[in-house]
Amino acid sequence: MEKLIGVWIAAFLTLCIYSFLYRDNPFYRFAEHLFVGISVGYGIVLSIHQGLIPLAWTPFWQAITQWPPGWGLTKLIPIAIGLLFFARLIPNYAWLIRYPIAILMGIGSGLAIPNVMQADIFRQVHGTLVPFSQIHAGTLSGSEIFGAILMLIGVISTLTYFFFSVEHRGVVGGVSKVGIIFLMIGFGSAFGNTVMGRVSLLIQRVEFLLQDWLHLI
Amino acid sequence: MRRQVPLALCFVFGVVMVLIEFSPHPYSKFLYNEVINWSLIITPFALVLGVATLVQTHWIRIRRRAEYWQYSFVVFIGMIVMVTIGIPFGPSHKAFAWLFKYIQTPMDATMFSLLAFFIASASYRAFRARTLEATLLLVAALIVMIGNAPIGDLIWNKIMPFGENLPSTARQWILENPNLSSRRGVILGVSLGVISQSIRIILGIERSYLGGGD
Repeated sequence: MEKLIGVWIAAFLTLCIYSFLYRDNPFYRFAEHLFVGISVGYGIVLSIHQGLIPLAWTPFWQAITQWPPGWGLTKLIPIAIGLLFFARLIPNYAWLIRYPIAILMGIGSGLAIPNVMQADIFRQVHGTLVPFSQIHAGTLSGSEIFGAILMLIGVISTLTYFFFSVEHRGVVGGVSKVGIIFLMIGFGSAFGNTVMGRVSLLIQRVEFLLQDWLHLI
Repeated sequence: MRRQVPLALCFVFGVVMVLIEFSPHPYSKFLYNEVINWSLIITPFALVLGVATLVQTHWIRIRRRAEYWQYSFVVFIGMIVMVTIGIPFGPSHKAFAWLFKYIQTPMDATMFSLLAFFIASASYRAFRARTLEATLLLVAALIVMIGNAPIGDLIWNKIMPFGENLPSTARQWILENPNLSSRRGVILGVSLGVISQSIRIILGIERSYLGGGD
């Protein structure tokens, strides 16, 4: 029974949202606002149950219920820092919100430097250059060698296109034009993938309406 | 106190996180995990603040009887229902899972699938192949789209006597070669930007996140 009600509600909301294709209307606005409310509520529940309770409340509770109090009491510090976010609601103390923001910015920036260097820069450079060692070892086919050279040209020319410290004239201008070609192919494939992703979702919704709701297929 | 202390905190936490990354000592690992936990505890409070702002905005809409103010009640109802069930009983509760499965997921998928229609009209405008660049974009997108759908290979194999499954092979080649190389270039550029911006934030050169005022 609950599945039947769920399918009917889901079908109604799906049609409400698709009604926007005709024009803006009360059904669409209802579904849109409900979506915002439900999503925010979902986010709150997840952040409390997967963030605050296991990371802050449980260790804190364990610390105060045992004697002598344990390490969990230190959880009071981030909780107090987090509470400073609410200073935003009191105009005279609104500046206190800078403390949690500054700490989060510091942690985020400190994490980003080594991680981005390792996960993005070194890995990407490694992936671009490693095939050349295999060329030297003679383990790559002709098409793979072509792919490796094309990859290097693409990476260098794309980076040159985004390098604005020198004027894009002469050799630099030519290389950056090659970069545009690679970028356009990249954007085209990203666009194609996005379209196909959206179309897949559309097919899935139509399938839901015809199969699960109307039982036509 | 109002600007200098936050800047100092940002510097200390930033430098500590960078240094910890290069130290294999068990104390460093402990400190690293503890600071990560701190950030995971602090972050949900920001969400609560965002929710407070959302509630405030919709409450003002209702109070002022702004256009479509009635729908603000729908936002509240959706949020209250999720929170009332989710917070005391947890996200794995049957009712919460039901709301997620039959309300949130279908609406999420439908909202995104709606974009398929708008992308179709946008692509008509974007894909008028007037220049070499626009032609490349068009050809790459078409190959990727045709190669993604099984019907592409099916039609090709029916009408062409050569190149079996050429659309999907061409799509794969484009994704693994020119597409990947341009993405690598963009990733490298963005990564260098992230690093330089992070250094600016830690050193207090970039301080726009502190906002205006004293």
